[in-house]
Amino acid sequence: MSTENGEPPLQIRDLHKSYGQVEVLQGLDLTIDAGAIHGLVGLNGSGKTTTLDCVLGLQSYNRGNIALLGYSPAQLNQAAGRIVAIFDSPSLQPGLTVRQCLDHATLLCKEPVRTPQEVEALLGISRYSKYRIRHLSLGNKRRASIANALIGNPGFILLDEPFNGLDAEGVEDVLALITQLNRDEGTTFLLSSHQLPYLERICTHMAILHQGKIAMCDKTTDLLGSQLNRVNVQCDEPSKAQQIIGEQRLGHAAIQNDGSLMVELADIGPGQLNQILVAAGLMISELRPQRQSLETLFYDITSSNKSGEAHG
Amino acid sequence: MAEFITALKSELFLLRHNPGMQLTLALPSLIVATQLSIIKLSQTGQAVRDSLLGATELDPTSAGAAYGYFVDGLSTGLTLVVLILVTLSAYSFAHDRDCGAIRHPLICRISRGNMLLGKLLTLVIAGASAIAVLFVVTWLMSSLLWDFGPVVEDGFELISENEIRSEIILGLQLALLPLPTLLAFGMLISVIAHSTTQAVTMALGITLAMDIFKATLGEASQYIFFSYLPSLLDQSYLRDVGQIVRGYSDVLIDAQAVQLNQFLPIPELLLLTVIALFLVQKKKL
Repeated sequence: MSTENGEPPLQIRDLHKSYGQVEVLQGLDLTIDAGAIHGLVGLNGSGKTTTLDCVLGLQSYNRGNIALLGYSPAQLNQAAGRIVAIFDSPSLQPGLTVRQCLDHATLLCKEPVRTPQEVEALLGISRYSKYRIRHLSLGNKRRASIANALIGNPGFILLDEPFNGLDAEGVEDVLALITQLNRDEGTTFLLSSHQLPYLERICTHMAILHQGKIAMCDKTTDLLGSQLNRVNVQCDEPSKAQQIIGEQRLGHAAIQNDGSLMVELADIGPGQLNQILVAAGLMISELRPQRQSLETLFYDITSSNKSGEAHG
Repeated sequence: MAEFITALKSELFLLRHNPGMQLTLALPSLIVATQLSIIKLSQTGQAVRDSLLGATELDPTSAGAAYGYFVDGLSTGLTLVVLILVTLSAYSFAHDRDCGAIRHPLICRISRGNMLLGKLLTLVIAGASAIAVLFVVTWLMSSLLWDFGPVVEDGFELISENEIRSEIILGLQLALLPLPTLLAFGMLISVIAHSTTQAVTMALGITLAMDIFKATLGEASQYIFFSYLPSLLDQSYLRDVGQIVRGYSDVLIDAQAVQLNQFLPIPELLLLTVIALFLVQKKKL
């Protein structure tokens, strides 16, 4: 879902936000493409929730521009339910039952596309429909929050820590639901979370928020594919392979504890390496390109900036 | 306007599905019914004892006394309604903000201002319903336990029933006029406060403090809407009506206070609402 003039659904420019003397956001820029599942990661206190709150008009900001589906944060109510948010804490009336919450959401929704029964079934909370929200477990409260958001037909969903309090099955359900909504209905997502492995699995794009700015933002495949020059090689004679790689200056090879060879390739690709080693008479049982995980990338960025801070 | 209607529907939905709040609003009627029953029981006990001692004849009804007890019942009930409404109005916005329930409607459909006005009007409707129930219950209890009639002394009708009724209506009007202002005050506190507990304690504390201090403020108290609300240290016109309908002729009516009571709550209501609407735009939710 993009705006009528084809602009990206969310554009944040030079966003500044301070709490007293502490400047949490220091010129944040972020653009989210239509149909993306965009992850926003950062350390505790890095400003992820503040960013979402500013985008949703729940708190003011010092300066900058935000346009969500073409609406400024103060005008979001005019988007008539095309934007919904699911928060870290279950933001539902604790005294209402699940069904009453969903009836209330239906009342608020301009064009409901699902009935309360349908969303209860979708989230697997049908048997809790007569339970009051305050009596539900944290995981089921979260399911109820998501159900509440899905009564309408949102084109843009913001989720703040969507996996908190969910068991393994619940996480899988939420991941599957996000993927399904994105694929079938073209819903754009912005997910803020600490659960990096989950984000890595579903996010098409990723932004790393550090020191009040977006330190890195790109397609997940591009971000994590930047380390494709590293391969793990399982062969019958690792020391011979190491020698060949060194002599022919193919890169730097190191024998691992498990007997495999970790190779940092210089100018060649994994396929060429395979060819050279096989031609030298080695039997290659496995050659696996090493992708950098989001977790290592995240810690590389945050720790390098920390050391930069220490030095600077 | 459509957005405001949605806000109102949303708030009425929440009120309809909150049995705790409904019970709270019914509480004044229950307490007044109990109060009047206890008074009647005590009177009957006294009359039986006097009759046994030969002091008087047993007469379970006191002719024309019902209006006095009716007004007493209304005063007690309205005092409770005042305390309940100020608590509920302080609670409403602050609670929804604390539990985060305010966020979904705000993002989905309703602006902050309309949400606040929706809450305010819902509380006005809830208060009006509570007062209507209180009026009916008090009327029924008074008519069941005593007889309605004019004030008669030595066979001479001092105050006719029509005069009594018009005084009660005026007393009620003057007591009810500041109630929306009280709700706007509670709502303002709800917006300002950092938590639900703080909002409720602040609103109740200020209401009770104003009740105590209004006597020391002298004429200045006439410019504060709190002075016209039925309260624990009651200075409202309804208290005077309670005396009038019992035939007391030495009740001093301050005409200026009555006039201020009629007109002052409205600008104060507008002022408090505008401040609340301004502050809610700035508030982190």
